[in-house]
Amino acid sequence: MRVPLSGLALIDVSKSFGDVPVLERVSLRIAPREFIAFLGPSGSGKSTLLRIIAGLETADSGEVWLDGERIDTRPPGARGIAMVFQHYALYPHMTVRENMAFGLRNAGVAKDEIARRIAQAADILEIGAQLDKKPGQMSGGQRQRVAIGRAIVKQPRLFLLDEPLSNLDAALRGRTRVELAQLRTRVDAALIMVTHDQAEAMTLADRIVILDDCCIQQVGTPAEVYTRPANAFVARFVGSPPMAMLPGVVAGEEAGRVRVRLAGGAVLATDVPAGGLVAGTEVDVGLRPEHVRLAAPGEEGLAAEVELVERLGDRTFLYARLADGAEIVALEPGFGTLRPGEAAALVIDAAAAHIFTAGGAAHHPEPSA
Amino acid sequence: MSAHRLSPLATVLLVLGAAVMLAPMAWTLLLSFKSNAALMADSGAAFAGPYTFENYAAILKGSLTLQWLANSLVVATGAAVGVLVLSSLAGYGFARLEFPFRRTLFVIVLLGLAVPEQAVILPRHQLFAWLGLHNTYPGLILPSLTGSFGVFFMTQYFRAIPRELDEAALLDGASRFTLFWKVLLPLTLPAQATLGVFTFLAAWNDYWWPLISATTSDYFTLTVGLASAQMNYAQTSGLGFLMAQAVFASIPILIVYIAFQKQIVRAMAGTAVR
Ligand SMILES: Nc1ncnc2c1ncn2[C@@H]1O[C@H](COP(=O)(O)OP(=O)(O)OP(=O)(O)O)[C@@H](O)[C@H]1O
Ligand SMILES: [Mg+2]
Repeated sequence: MRVPLSGLALIDVSKSFGDVPVLERVSLRIAPREFIAFLGPSGSGKSTLLRIIAGLETADSGEVWLDGERIDTRPPGARGIAMVFQHYALYPHMTVRENMAFGLRNAGVAKDEIARRIAQAADILEIGAQLDKKPGQMSGGQRQRVAIGRAIVKQPRLFLLDEPLSNLDAALRGRTRVELAQLRTRVDAALIMVTHDQAEAMTLADRIVILDDCCIQQVGTPAEVYTRPANAFVARFVGSPPMAMLPGVVAGEEAGRVRVRLAGGAVLATDVPAGGLVAGTEVDVGLRPEHVRLAAPGEEGLAAEVELVERLGDRTFLYARLADGAEIVALEPGFGTLRPGEAAALVIDAAAAHIFTAGGAAHHPEPSA
Repeated sequence: MSAHRLSPLATVLLVLGAAVMLAPMAWTLLLSFKSNAALMADSGAAFAGPYTFENYAAILKGSLTLQWLANSLVVATGAAVGVLVLSSLAGYGFARLEFPFRRTLFVIVLLGLAVPEQAVILPRHQLFAWLGLHNTYPGLILPSLTGSFGVFFMTQYFRAIPRELDEAALLDGASRFTLFWKVLLPLTLPAQATLGVFTFLAAWNDYWWPLISATTSDYFTLTVGLASAQMNYAQTSGLGFLMAQAVFASIPILIVYIAFQKQIVRAMAGTAVR
């Protein structure tokens, strides 16, 4: 693999803890100034990958390159990387100013330059009034900003943030999210954020890296991972409520598009190109809630029983079970009137259906021109 | 301070307890200000004047008392500083470094907690005689440095410091030494204070080892020196002087207690860590 002269490159990075593999031959490229989110379930190796990039963990094999230089052989402090820790990891006995100056002093930055950078960072983060306080005297949100400030003053080529928002309450999280978005416009560096909150990843990241089962499952823009998930795992992991998977069998094709017969007998005329899907193949039909609705009065629909109703005010999700036992989620605008246990008729927008084969490969709808 | 009030019964009990504890001290203090002659006739004379400083003057005139005080200060300070340095380094090592036999060594440290001084005092005496350490400051200080407790205590304290701080410092380009000296060690200051005070007091109050090791009077610590002085007087004739000595010997301890009240209370309450 050729190493790019700018940005971050991971090449075949593997890591196991004892006998337990955590990462297997993970390769990834990140452009300079790109905002990347590592997204995945708990234990999928997000933090481990981040820590390997930072140098806090050593990979068993593989290479890490930053701006054309190999960095995995260097100590953490010499990689041009700054990290914001989940619990901030501010030095409790130092003032905010000393916290920010510590790394610069170790790097031998001149005194007036340190003062200048701290003043600038304090300005950006609006913590100027707190510079002489100790972390213990500050709120969680303020500490978070100091942690970010401590990273900014180092003027790194890459920022790493491990679950930066997970310790904040909901209101503060929203605000900090906005600040992170602003941060990336102010710094000349790439940014990698670990999260298991997909809304966070979707709103902030240029591209999302989805990790599971020791591997990268997909790398793509938020739109790509949502509309063209690489496999059934990504399809179900991204999106809330998750995509429903209805078991079925390929029934044939019509005008180059696949038709699928669901277990209950209904046939869906999808927009998925037929190539590679022969009749008789067992598949799962993936449907997002927004593509399943309640039948209008008099309209024909699939019979289902409502099991759970999730009212969000502007819209309502109906978790239902089809007659054949498959679970499905429908979206209804406004406050729904249905209650758990009641029967519903559901209409599926078959043109939006995705198809997943047993091997996990994904086939997406491609509307004919 | 907590807002809850003590019940009257508890107050009475506490006052009684305090009186029982304080009475001998007050008695000592009173006696120390009476002339020996007056006390010889009747020790009850201490309840009324005239009071005098003659006993304290006698202590200060005594040829070796100030030397013993100095010895005690050197020994106790040396023990405290030595224990702090060794325990901090060892504690950091056990808590943070990977090295062969780390667990085994730590178990040995723990076992050290269970060995009473009585068990080692004879071999130690012989060893020190062989090394020519008796009647020297190192001879008086070194045994304090062999205790396990400080190492155990500091190891636990270092372990309680989140590793994220180490990692943040490493990413901040800190060397191992900078990490230890500028980040971790300052965080252990409360533990250092507690351990330092206790080591100082233990060394100050120690009687047995200096009694064995210091055989020439210019290396006596205050405890040994004052005890030796005691034998020079029939108890009845020098009561005021004896009491003045006791008060005199307690002053440095009193100062340490007052200066480090907070640490001592915390350590007593078992909340020294964190
Ligand atoms: N130091 C370690 N020793 C042993 N196993 C570890 C160590 N660090 C991580 N692991 C294991 O490696 C796997 C991946 O951990 P990692 O922390 O990278 O997951 P994560 O994706 O960050 O999860 P989370 O969302 O819970 O933070 C987990 O199974 C974890 O138990
Ligand atoms: Mg993690």
